[in-house]
Amino acid sequence: MLVYRHPSAPLPVLREVCAGAEEEGVPTEVVDAPGGGDAQDATALAHAAALESRLDVGIGVDASGAAAVHHAKLPEDRPPATTGPDAAPPDWRRAGRIGARVVKGLPLMEGPRP
Amino acid sequence: MRGPGPAEPAERLIVGVDIGNSTTEACLASIGPEGAVSYLGTDLTRTTGVKGTPDNTPGALTAIRGALARAGRSAGEVRTVLLNEATPVISGLAMETITETIITESTMIGHNPTTPGGEGLGVGTTRSIAELGEQEPGEPVVCVVPHGWDFDDAAATINAAVQRGVAVVAAILAGDDAVLITNRLARAVPVVDEVAAVEKVPLGMLAAVEVAAPGRTIRTLSNSYGLATVFGLDPAQTRQVSPVARALTGNRSAVVVRTPSGDVTDRRIPVGELVLRGAGKTLRVDVDAGAEAIMDVVGRAQPLDDAHGEPGTHVGGMLAQVRDTMADVMDLPGQPAVPVSEIAIRDVLAVDTFVPADVRGGLAGEVALENAVALAAMVSTSRSRMQLVADLVSEGLGAAAEIGGVEGEMAVSGALTTPGVDRPVAVLDLGGGSTDAALLTREGECTAVHVAGAGELVTKLIDSELALGDREVAESVKWFPLAKVESFFHIRHEDGTVQFFDEPLPPHVYARVVVLTPDGPAPVGTRHGLDHVRRVRREAKRRVFVVNALRALRQVAPGGNLRALEFVVLLGGSALDFEIPDMIADALAPHGIVCGTGNVLGTEGPRNAVAAGLVRTYAAGPMRAAPGPAT
Ligand SMILES: Nc1ncnc2c1ncn2[C@@H]1O[C@H](COP(=O)(O)OP(=O)(O)O)[C@@H](O)[C@H]1O
Ligand SMILES: [Mg+2]
Repeated sequence: MLVYRHPSAPLPVLREVCAGAEEEGVPTEVVDAPGGGDAQDATALAHAAALESRLDVGIGVDASGAAAVHHAKLPEDRPPATTGPDAAPPDWRRAGRIGARVVKGLPLMEGPRP
Repeated sequence: MRGPGPAEPAERLIVGVDIGNSTTEACLASIGPEGAVSYLGTDLTRTTGVKGTPDNTPGALTAIRGALARAGRSAGEVRTVLLNEATPVISGLAMETITETIITESTMIGHNPTTPGGEGLGVGTTRSIAELGEQEPGEPVVCVVPHGWDFDDAAATINAAVQRGVAVVAAILAGDDAVLITNRLARAVPVVDEVAAVEKVPLGMLAAVEVAAPGRTIRTLSNSYGLATVFGLDPAQTRQVSPVARALTGNRSAVVVRTPSGDVTDRRIPVGELVLRGAGKTLRVDVDAGAEAIMDVVGRAQPLDDAHGEPGTHVGGMLAQVRDTMADVMDLPGQPAVPVSEIAIRDVLAVDTFVPADVRGGLAGEVALENAVALAAMVSTSRSRMQLVADLVSEGLGAAAEIGGVEGEMAVSGALTTPGVDRPVAVLDLGGGSTDAALLTREGECTAVHVAGAGELVTKLIDSELALGDREVAESVKWFPLAKVESFFHIRHEDGTVQFFDEPLPPHVYARVVVLTPDGPAPVGTRHGLDHVRRVRREAKRRVFVVNALRALRQVAPGGNLRALEFVVLLGGSALDFEIPDMIADALAPHGIVCGTGNVLGTEGPRNAVAAGLVRTYAAGPMRAAPGPAT
């Protein structure tokens, strides 16, 4: 699963997002968003990552610490899950798990909805 | 279905009204001078109040006005409203859990975390991770990690201990971190996580932790001799731990702790007896003996005069309550009180079921399937208040209203409008609270019975067996087929066919088992797969409706012989079900019976039989000759 981050995306958010995916057994690859990511929010980053991902699933983390999960086949404005800039570590962890569960074809966990 | 215009001189508008336990139906027709019937419109609405009581009036008026509106007619044109004579039937449902699983001294952790870590079996003494620093090398250790430990810190602490020579052979975690921690251990061990009450895991005790490979189930801790081998048990002790092994069967991970007197017990809960009076006998049966034993005794006490349960039990309470409700609705000011002897339980249906229940003493929210008995009971009286309802309807509508016939006979008469049906015919009215059968012989004799248990009981069984805790969701599981959402754009129906969507499906149904309601797929809140939900749904229908169809038909069939029946017509709301009619037809086929869902008037399906029967009976009756109905 591909994770696009803004270069100044908070590290604790990235750590928990990746931990969530890892607990579900799905490997993540974190890269700086192509083009810098300044013009994109978490949802746009996630959608771009999903389009690049071999698994069709991407996560975006923007400079504010907001995160989003996306699938390549979904319209950009319909991310399956997002967390805001003021979310807490369990929410970030959950975002990572949701991304992994989209990959695995398992029910998404209750939590923040778009 | 438009009849001749109101200009027709001798035309009479009449409305047949069937007040059922759940639904009130109306059938509007005009009757020509020769008694020819033209059906003009039908309607249905929820019954108001208990069937056969004055509270039915508003519902009856709604249905009458609805049918008039559909036909573009006015209440002023109505000559007569015909009501069905029906004795009030009140049904009640109760469930009695008869087994209970209790874990003492925290002997066992048997939940199924979605993501345990590692693989294999680890046997050692339980130690808190906080004390791992002081642990001397030597005896193997099962590390217990409470809430609040970060996965990196926990892994580092365990690795440091292992470095010093401490044999950490397994771990038990409060949080959902098993994979994360296992991935960071220098030496991988089985790890069970999501143990909410981890602080209750006894420390300093010998424990075994087992995690199976993905897609597999544990082999050692679910085997009595596996436990005996791990803990060095003698035959007597092995016998004692066998319930533990059974409780863990089918899990991917488990923990068993050896404590001095720890145990898992499967206790039977005594819930008292049911006392059945009938056929000149008084018979007793323990409710926890199960449905078969209860129904056997019910059969021997048929026809049932009354039934009582133990005060303080659910069943006893329910039986007392339906009786009280009936006494209340029959108790009218200005009328003599109904003798208690006339308010009696006339039928009981017991069904074996199971309920997922939280295990007492569990540390991780373990759930065990407990046995339970569901009971439907029915009280009916011979006292009817239908004449009062007729008076009130007449007053409300401004037209005459009378009682036009007895329910069972009217149902048969309406059913005979189904194409392809002839006498002798039996109808099965599959309702909400009761299943009713009526038989019309070739000679025109009619017999009718009500038996307890119908659509409501099916809904209740689905609700409790799937632990949905929501009657509406259970009702939709009963009504609509299932599917599995396989991606954001496609679902697989329960018959295996795949359907694609242009619009993405909402995330909350992704990868879930859903019911396909007219408003779109709705998730069924269960961890079970589609096959399990389907089996529960079909079994609930079979245990109520197939059982009751046979029970009710045997009571009306000549000599109790089903072979003596020829045509069986299924009526009522539950005959609209997408599989119940097929199940009943399958069960009746070996008896050489033609069975199918009714199509009243050739248009109404299994609905409106009694209302249409009232109209037919009126049109065929002696009043036909008179220019206007005598009231
Ligand atoms: N389309 C349907 N599919 C399955 N069950 C249905 C359907 N419509 C109604 N029911 C069931 O029918 C029962 C009510 O039947 P009904 O004939 O209206 O009751 P009554 O004769 O007691 O007034 C309820 O249990 C309801 O769930
Ligand atoms: Mg886990």
